[in-house]
Amino acid sequence: MTLRTRIAVTFLLLLAAVLAAALGAVSAANRGNAEREVNRQLDVGASVFSRLLESNRRQLTQAAQAVAADFGFREAVATRDTETLVSVLENSGARIGAALVVLTSLDGDVIAASGLNIQAGTPFPAAPMKRRSTVDDSGITVMVDDGRIYQLVTVPVRSPLPVAWIAMAFELDQKAARELADITGLAVTLSVNSGGRWSDAVSTIPAPAERRSDVVSRRIDVSKWGNAEVVAILSRSLAEARAPFERLTRVLFLIAAVSLLATGVAAFWLARNITRPLQDLTRAVDRMRGGAYDVPLDLQRPDELGVLADGLQLMQTAVQTRDRFIRQLAYQDTLTGVMNRTAFSEALDRALAQSAGLPIAVAVINLERFRRINEHLGYSVGDAVLTKMAARLAAVPSVNSAVARLAADQFAAFARLPDSGNLLHWGTSLVLALADPVFVEAQPIDITATLGLAQSGAGRASSDELMRCADLALDRARREKRALAVYEEALQPAARDQLSLLGELRRAVERDELRMFFQPKIELKTGRVAGAEVLLRWQHPERGLLGPAHFIPFAEQTGFIRRLTRWTLDHAIAQGAAWHRAGQALCLAVNISADDIGDMRLDARLASLLTRHQLPPALLTLEVTESGFIDDPVRALRMLEAIAALGVSLSIDDFGTGYSSLSHLARMPVHELKIDRSFVQGLEADPESAPVVRAAIDMGHGLGLKVIAEGIESEEAALRLRNFGCDVAQGYLYSEPLPLHAFEAWMLGRERVPVIAVPVDFKIENLVETSNLALY
Amino acid sequence: MTRLHHCVRGAAALLVLLFAQSALAAAVTVAVTTRAGAEVQDAAIIFDPLDATPPPGHDKAIIDQVNKTFVPHVIVIRTGTAVTFPNSDRIRHEVYSFSPAKMFTLKLYAGPSKTSVIFDKPGLVVLGCNIHDKMSAFVGVVDTPYFGKTTSAGVVSMDLPAGRYRLRVWHPNAAAIAAQQIVVAAGPLSIPLKIDVDSAAAAVAAWPE
Repeated sequence: MTLRTRIAVTFLLLLAAVLAAALGAVSAANRGNAEREVNRQLDVGASVFSRLLESNRRQLTQAAQAVAADFGFREAVATRDTETLVSVLENSGARIGAALVVLTSLDGDVIAASGLNIQAGTPFPAAPMKRRSTVDDSGITVMVDDGRIYQLVTVPVRSPLPVAWIAMAFELDQKAARELADITGLAVTLSVNSGGRWSDAVSTIPAPAERRSDVVSRRIDVSKWGNAEVVAILSRSLAEARAPFERLTRVLFLIAAVSLLATGVAAFWLARNITRPLQDLTRAVDRMRGGAYDVPLDLQRPDELGVLADGLQLMQTAVQTRDRFIRQLAYQDTLTGVMNRTAFSEALDRALAQSAGLPIAVAVINLERFRRINEHLGYSVGDAVLTKMAARLAAVPSVNSAVARLAADQFAAFARLPDSGNLLHWGTSLVLALADPVFVEAQPIDITATLGLAQSGAGRASSDELMRCADLALDRARREKRALAVYEEALQPAARDQLSLLGELRRAVERDELRMFFQPKIELKTGRVAGAEVLLRWQHPERGLLGPAHFIPFAEQTGFIRRLTRWTLDHAIAQGAAWHRAGQALCLAVNISADDIGDMRLDARLASLLTRHQLPPALLTLEVTESGFIDDPVRALRMLEAIAALGVSLSIDDFGTGYSSLSHLARMPVHELKIDRSFVQGLEADPESAPVVRAAIDMGHGLGLKVIAEGIESEEAALRLRNFGCDVAQGYLYSEPLPLHAFEAWMLGRERVPVIAVPVDFKIENLVETSNLALY
Repeated sequence: MTRLHHCVRGAAALLVLLFAQSALAAAVTVAVTTRAGAEVQDAAIIFDPLDATPPPGHDKAIIDQVNKTFVPHVIVIRTGTAVTFPNSDRIRHEVYSFSPAKMFTLKLYAGPSKTSVIFDKPGLVVLGCNIHDKMSAFVGVVDTPYFGKTTSAGVVSMDLPAGRYRLRVWHPNAAAIAAQQIVVAAGPLSIPLKIDVDSAAAAVAAWPE
């Protein structure tokens, strides 16, 4: 039920209850009132009736006494002058309107009569008096004659003693009844009992048919005298008495109905007046919830709803302000005022959606060495630099404020290019805009900005893609120490879908897709093959032969390296044992990762493999990078010692790139050092690396270790290394890593054709030492 | 009644004596009481001689009006008697009679009446005052000289010559009493009479003719 209906219905029910109670009370009171009123009226009527009779009696008595006292009349009585008597009687009767006047003897015989047709000398039918009867003057005497009712008064005629009676009477006729009815407001009926049967002699009730059943009546005995038993019946119809009250009740009902209707209309109007603005407000609030804060909320009302609307208006404004602020926080960089990454992405996405095929260029800009500004000049200066840089970027016309600060010292900008050829031009304009020194507190600060550029096109339809490409370009620029670089497909990392790689690797082990490649190690002094390093290749069914760079780092990250190592060890030891059995004792080196060192059962497994394949432990070398014993040196040391105890040689791989301490190195149970290829390759180009290599070789020897150099691609490098005293060399100069059969073939050829290696930088003055040259 | 029979029987015995001693007078006393024995005053006792015609004669009588009352209340007179109606009150009276025996009116007057009224016919005359309804008096007019009126002791005495008489008794408030024959002899005669008196009777008792 709506508020409007509820309000209206509540009001109506309340009013209806009140009205019903009031009407009920009034009509109950009216019913009682009518009956009381009728009864009271009957009391009054009875009283009036008896007073009327009494008044009649007095009037009759006076008139009769006046006649009786008249001397002449008495004389006429004495002389029985009948005609005179009749005239006197007529005269006196006419004076008061008596219906009849009768003179009788003391014995009741008519002497003379007026108004009654009766013979003189006959007994007066209703004469109550006898000669010696007692006459009670206060009694009301009633005579019934010929259906007519008379109220009769009899007085004696004295001369001076009673000699006759005068009876004088009013007729209680229709007129008298009507008068009484008019005075009392009651229906008057006079009823006579004749022979046990009552009949109405006079009645003001028009016709018996109209007599109602709901009549309240009062019987008054007028006369109980033998042959004139008369009663007066005063009556009143209750319905008639109730009529005014019923009229009143009807009027009240009408008023109730009208007021109910009026109240209903008023309540609905009022409720609507309340609920319509409420609905308006609800709609407004709904729109506000949808983010529209421009909803007009002024109801222009002076009442509470107006106040509510004003309050909502204020709230709307406040919410709008906060919303704007939150949006700023969410989308704006608070320091520089430019967009943040989120806002930039959205803006870029919008621009891409609206680009209509025109290229969108994105630049990711890095402020080089910005940390140093913060560290040396303070954060306030750094902040000022960032703000000024942001402002400069935003001021570039083509950028059109599409600038964001992505990270502490990284900005981004995008622009619509007129055509794809302008990317570099645009990037250059940005570089130029940022090139000038920034002045903070009148102090010039040089900032080098590096840009990575990318532009929308195939595969770069989203802001994410585009920015990632720009990032790659930036990486390249920074790597190559250039001011800017443009994204190229080549910058994409090779293996993008590394998630599936793990599954493929498992399959590779199961389906035997892994291959062992062997790269020979040459003893520099003798030129003999000192051994071979076992290198893994993956014969991928789709991608062909993959080098270790494609899967070893991934295997190390995922922990799958242990599985690979087990496989390699198993196969390498088996191959080593096979060669050993064939009389070719070749020392094989297998790479062990740091994770393998953490494998507690590595020594046991090694022992088991060596035993199983019957390979002398001295023919196996495990190459471990320095990182292998950085994580947990104590545990690594224990494992290395256990392995060394088996008789297996240990070699430190990529020596020189890690940061392991020399004291550590001294305690390691290793047998050889393997100098990183970066040092060896620098030997030719970088004269400064020679002493490093030499020092490393000397140090290894000082520690009692055999020293190996890898990555040897030239005779010159080989010669130098040999001069430095390096024990073993490995590299493309001798052989690339070879599959098993190629390696075996290479070994055979090697044994048959000794090669004299002549260093490339061989000089005449060095010829003296040529005799020392080793045969390869 | 039994007493009355005794009386009658006694009277019969006297009649014998009367014949023996004629022309002798005898004292006759009539005592009137109610049946309850109370003495009745103002009862008129009338003896009509049956054997002889009484000598004619008339008298004079007075009915005064004192304190709005006729005094006396009852008189018996011989026919032809003139009655005067002096007025001893200081107010006026108008004496009248509608009785057939004598109708007259004495117009309003005060003091001694100048005229007298001659009652010339036997019968009962009821007197009234026209202006004072309560006033009433009774005049019995008879043709015999032998009559009387009981005293307050209820008796009346007179001398009657011996002979036969018709005795009439009348009282204003008594029912009519039948006349009876009385024989008066030489000796004194006492006649007791019982009558019914109804003091509340509205109408006057009929006059015994």
